[in-house]
Amino acid sequence: MAEGAGLLPEGGHLALCGFAISRNAVSFVHELIRAGRAHLHLTQVVGGLETDLLVAAGLVDRLTYGGGSLDRFGPLASVNRAAVAGQLELFEYSALALSLRLHAGALGLPYLPTRSMLGSDLLDSLMASGEVRLSTDPFSDSPCLLLSPLRPDLAVAHVDRADRAGNCSIEGPVWSIPETVRAARAVLVVCEQIVEMGELDPSRVTIPGEYVTAVAVSPRGAHPTAVFGRYDYDRKHLELYEKAATSGEEASREYLERWVLGVADEQAYLEAAAG
Amino acid sequence: MNGHTGLTGASSEAAAGSWTRGEMMAVAGSHQVRDDDVVVVGLGLPQVAALLARHTHAAGVSLLLEAGIFGTAPREPAMGVADPRMWAGATAFGSLLEVLGAMLHGGRVTLGMLGALEVDRWGSINTTQIPTAGGGIRRFNGSGGGNDVSSHAGRTVIIMAHEPRKFASQLDFVTSAGRKVGDKDRAELGLSGGGPSEIVTDRAVISLGAEGPVLAAVHTGEDPELVARDTPIPLLMPSGGPVVTPPPTERELSLIRSELDPLGWYTR
Repeated sequence: MAEGAGLLPEGGHLALCGFAISRNAVSFVHELIRAGRAHLHLTQVVGGLETDLLVAAGLVDRLTYGGGSLDRFGPLASVNRAAVAGQLELFEYSALALSLRLHAGALGLPYLPTRSMLGSDLLDSLMASGEVRLSTDPFSDSPCLLLSPLRPDLAVAHVDRADRAGNCSIEGPVWSIPETVRAARAVLVVCEQIVEMGELDPSRVTIPGEYVTAVAVSPRGAHPTAVFGRYDYDRKHLELYEKAATSGEEASREYLERWVLGVADEQAYLEAAAG
Repeated sequence: MNGHTGLTGASSEAAAGSWTRGEMMAVAGSHQVRDDDVVVVGLGLPQVAALLARHTHAAGVSLLLEAGIFGTAPREPAMGVADPRMWAGATAFGSLLEVLGAMLHGGRVTLGMLGALEVDRWGSINTTQIPTAGGGIRRFNGSGGGNDVSSHAGRTVIIMAHEPRKFASQLDFVTSAGRKVGDKDRAELGLSGGGPSEIVTDRAVISLGAEGPVLAAVHTGEDPELVARDTPIPLLMPSGGPVVTPPPTERELSLIRSELDPLGWYTR
């Protein structure tokens, strides 16, 4: 995990692959918070706990996302608070439009067009950022948006099984994980389980090792979020987190002290939090 | 959605014959779903409405979730669309680019079902931010796939509680464009789908036509004039007056209470 954090320079652009309360790379994010890697540009297609944790820790200067929540557990309270307080530069896309920016980055395309977001106020800050342009489809002459490609410095995905070459499998839906890892300049996969070379069925490899820079093993590393087919989200812990996050900066800080900064490593966190 | 008492004044533990506003809203929402619809379902009450339709009159409906889930058929209540419980019984797992891209942007989704913080008379939706009394703003969950749904689905049904503050003459923020934004209609803006067609609330069904919103139906027990009075956007009346949504059936209530929302997360 430490070598993964090393792939990300101070002020670098990190992309995370969790989805609300599922498959968040929590163990990696904890490591990053302990390392105090600050001034990050963070991208996540549908924001989840991992993003809210990094923002609560004050490590994110700029967030590019497609909205997000902790489902019924509540909003991304730290993200919302930091954005309103002007501590976080926030760029909100539709989930598809942000996936398309990553897809353009993955394919090395100069841009991708879309008709999502037309007529919405999302465009104001996105067009001002220079990353989205209103244009005209040269074939039909109707309005369309041009989305610039996105190339994060590092993408981190929490996967089920991986071999040492980085080939890995993900069970269940994959939302925007494929585009996010293929767009990034370096990829860390954090796996539940490491397997021998050749053990993975090639038909079920979600991310070929050619894309992957480093592999870390972290059983239950997505806790308190869920990993499909392996473990459920931890309802009590998510409620505890959300209570702290919605209470304000001080309660969030106490949460981080208690569960992240104040524990030696992930083993200690899991023993304390998950029993 | 939370804490409403039943239309008959009964509590949430009401005996058969009474129901909560949330239950009525889920039932009325389910009536919007057809057996041959391909639906993208948003977070919250739309989940219950879509599943209720699938369990009653629309067994053939295909329910998609933005995380990449096809044909979902959950058997226990879920905390949202990112809860693996919501993906149980799915026919296929894919990606967000597949569901929101190939299916939705590609024109294959006939119906979107979304919640909203705030709507205007043309069905534009705000799920991003609202002003606070102190002159600041309060941020919410934002678009997710909501903008994509409203932009591209054949039609979109908005399901939300009938609170006056949720109907705005001017939205603070347009997260998803409706049938018109300013004086431009959605085709001029370049949007492909039909746009929002109905707002289903716990009191009424408002149809979004070319002339503006129409009070198409009021739910059983509701007075159309009182509903119109409590709706801060002007509503047109259909000739002959709004139809009346029939009361929920025993079967619908039993499905909601025993299977789809037994803990009342969405409907009580």
